[in-house]
Amino acid sequence: MSAAASAPMPAMSMRHALRMLAVLALLGAAAFPIYWMLVTSLTPSEALFGDRPQMLPSFSRLPVYGEVFAIKPVATWLLNSAWVAIGTTVLSIGLAVFPAYALSRFRFGGKGAIGFGLFATQMLPEAMLVVPLYAIFSQLSLLNTLSGLILANTAFTVPVITWILKGAIDGVPIEVEEAARIDGCSRIGIVLQVVVPLIAPTLAAAAVISFFHGWNEYVFAQTLITEERLHTASVGLAGFIGELSTPLDAVMAVGVMYTLPAVAFYLVVQRHVVSGMTAGSVKG
Amino acid sequence: MAAVLPSSTDPAIAGRAARDSRANRLDGHRLMPYALVLPATLYLLVFQGYPLLRELMLSFTSTSLLSPADGQWVGLQNYADLWRDPDFHRVIFTTLLYTAACVASAIGLGLGSALLLDAPFRGRGIARALVTIPWAAPPVAVALIFIWIYNAQYGVFGHTLRFFGIEAGQENWLDSMQHAMPAVLITTIWQIFPFASVVLLAALQGVPSELREAAVMDGADRLSVFKAVVWPTIRPSVALLALFSTIWSLRRFDLIWLLTQGGPVGSTNTLVIDLYRRAFVNHHLGQAAAVGMVGVVIALAVTLVYFRYTARAEKQGAR
Repeated sequence: MSAAASAPMPAMSMRHALRMLAVLALLGAAAFPIYWMLVTSLTPSEALFGDRPQMLPSFSRLPVYGEVFAIKPVATWLLNSAWVAIGTTVLSIGLAVFPAYALSRFRFGGKGAIGFGLFATQMLPEAMLVVPLYAIFSQLSLLNTLSGLILANTAFTVPVITWILKGAIDGVPIEVEEAARIDGCSRIGIVLQVVVPLIAPTLAAAAVISFFHGWNEYVFAQTLITEERLHTASVGLAGFIGELSTPLDAVMAVGVMYTLPAVAFYLVVQRHVVSGMTAGSVKG
Repeated sequence: MAAVLPSSTDPAIAGRAARDSRANRLDGHRLMPYALVLPATLYLLVFQGYPLLRELMLSFTSTSLLSPADGQWVGLQNYADLWRDPDFHRVIFTTLLYTAACVASAIGLGLGSALLLDAPFRGRGIARALVTIPWAAPPVAVALIFIWIYNAQYGVFGHTLRFFGIEAGQENWLDSMQHAMPAVLITTIWQIFPFASVVLLAALQGVPSELREAAVMDGADRLSVFKAVVWPTIRPSVALLALFSTIWSLRRFDLIWLLTQGGPVGSTNTLVIDLYRRAFVNHHLGQAAAVGMVGVVIALAVTLVYFRYTARAEKQGAR
């Protein structure tokens, strides 16, 4: 493929140049807001409110990234978010693997209903369930706990992940399992020792998706938590909106620290995420 | 979970007969799949099903957030009120507009970028990874940076518009009746189009390249090759994307809420924002629940349309 591209005819190269231009424009548009957050965090205040925006970061402003920790409990926010994200990931995968396997390998009465039920959860807005969940959580003493937040988030990730994992398990040849059965493996053993390793890339995708859900989640973190020491980064960051006392560059520095780990983590594993997502979604 | 199935985890079994009769008692049993789906099903019933039921009950009451215990049963009153409320009609219109614009643009832009990134060029792998960045960015951070970008005086958006002599660059789009919706849409589409791009890029891998080449050999132009060869292959993915982006747009809260809170003057007040407002600003939980139920019905209707469409498409494909 690249051999054809390296020996282009003139007309081809013109088309190629246009295409490259379009690709660059696309990437620029995709990356700009994140870049802009970084630049804003590294721009002195007087330049932020000047006549022309400063397009490049001033790296001499880097200490602002340390200073914000003294202004707001940023470390606590990020740790809380990390805890919620990790908890959501572990619980989601733990709950989703076995139903995904059952949906892929068995025919049983009620399977259609379960499949539809899983799908239907996609239609329920978090904002709608806030009120009843609040009531349930106060009965179960789960208000103002990060574990409560994990439980609420997982309810929204399990259906998607089950679906994605089912797609992957569909792709595992049944013969592999039969060999293990002859060796005397139990069904649970087969799932854990044979199937799970074979769908590892999709499992990674599922992990990333649920991690992101927990890391990004805002509505529940805002309403089911009132104690400040339990605020997640999403709530902490949202608190800056409309608040004027914190300097803008400091606010953006927090934004960068909240965004960059997610984006970097995503870029590292994106190959798996993409193949996992599409394995699940394209097959339906 | 293994505790549900004690017999199947017992390793001390020798001989095929014994294994078949004892260790795999549940393995071969017709209850096996139920045992596998039970924990997750119970979990979802507690944290999705039961809250949904409570919300449904709430929608038939006059419950207030200020005194949740004093709610009266009012039957369909909340629904009747919504039916007559011109503000709610506007909410429906705003929701449909927002959803349609999101879905059409996300798929259009996603398809365009997928086609662009499908062709071979140097650095394609990096480009494919970079284009997904918006999708990975947390919505709260996205709202925060876009509020700054849209700032009337100092935002880079206004600067750019003014540079090209565009009048609308003078105002903050998020504060403007006409421009708040476009501003919210730009932000949303920026965030969601990579998902469409990624899914369609994967779907494009399924386009048979021999067919494509044969069509080109026959002198077909690009558009007819797309229509005859590419489109039929990716159409199921497009339909699925349409379904998911519709449902996700119907329930999107954080981005819109943080950008405009539904304002100014309700110009970006989508159903979910309206529901949240009624519950937490106006304290009317019953009415908010009714709004939520209307949203669920709309989502269900969209899903039914999708399944009818795919069933028909499959039938046609089979023939």
